[in-house]
Amino acid sequence: MEPTFRSTGAGVRVSLAGEHAALLRRVPDDVLRVLDEPAEGVDELGRERGATDPGRERLFPRAYLDPTEEQAEDDWQRMVHPELVAAKRAAARTMAESLARLERRGDRLAVDLDAGETEAWLSVLNDARLVLGTRLGVEDGPDYDRVDPDDPDAALFLFYGFLTLLTGELVEVLLGPSTEV
Amino acid sequence: MTVRADTVAPEKVEPPLRVPEPGELEPDRDVGPDKPWLVIVWNDPVNLMSYVVWVLQKLFGYSREKATKLMLDVHHKGKAIVSHGTKEKAEGDVARLHAHGLWATMQHDS
Repeated sequence: MEPTFRSTGAGVRVSLAGEHAALLRRVPDDVLRVLDEPAEGVDELGRERGATDPGRERLFPRAYLDPTEEQAEDDWQRMVHPELVAAKRAAARTMAESLARLERRGDRLAVDLDAGETEAWLSVLNDARLVLGTRLGVEDGPDYDRVDPDDPDAALFLFYGFLTLLTGELVEVLLGPSTEV
Repeated sequence: MTVRADTVAPEKVEPPLRVPEPGELEPDRDVGPDKPWLVIVWNDPVNLMSYVVWVLQKLFGYSREKATKLMLDVHHKGKAIVSHGTKEKAEGDVARLHAHGLWATMQHDS
């Protein structure tokens, strides 16, 4: 099977089957919607979102474990949170822009990413996994090829597995050869 | 854990060489001769082991070997100290780890 990601030296070449490209195109918007709080209704990464969304909370954990450090935590959140949101937004926009550059190459769709775009892709893919995995309550162990088709979340589990596969492939390319992690 | 011994604050704190001015030492344990803050990465079921290694190498410049050891500590022991230093450094490190999706917190060395 042709690899999805391949190092070009300066960056990474993405090569996607058409149906995978269609799945990926929704990911930046999904992440942007999670970042746009507060939100109501249903989004593509799963189910209804109420006042608190564990998926979104997973993207922005506390810094101070000690609950008596509440003031320091507040100060830190005030300083850091807007920057974190802005960085994640920027990454999602970057990924969306590069997805818009996909061109047909043979029976696949391809685009070359520079180093910054590559990291944006990894960031967005991983954020999508964090949100989706948290909402689905995934546990350790990649057993998503054994999804129960009667589970109402079956499609989301499969989508999570797809994102996991791509994330793993992309990390391996970034880590370079001779890495058995 | 791979905290470098040469940069860990000694258990015994030397007394100041002069008497502090009134108000100079705030009753805030975040200032003064503080022990270093520890930055801890916690295990989570979503982040890939290879991804954690990549992040630790990228953010802290660790070797593949060291990043892998820390990742395995996170995976098997539930957490690992990935960096330490002043409160400001720890706050910055936690922010960068959160930016990369790792579940990190900071706390006083004890």
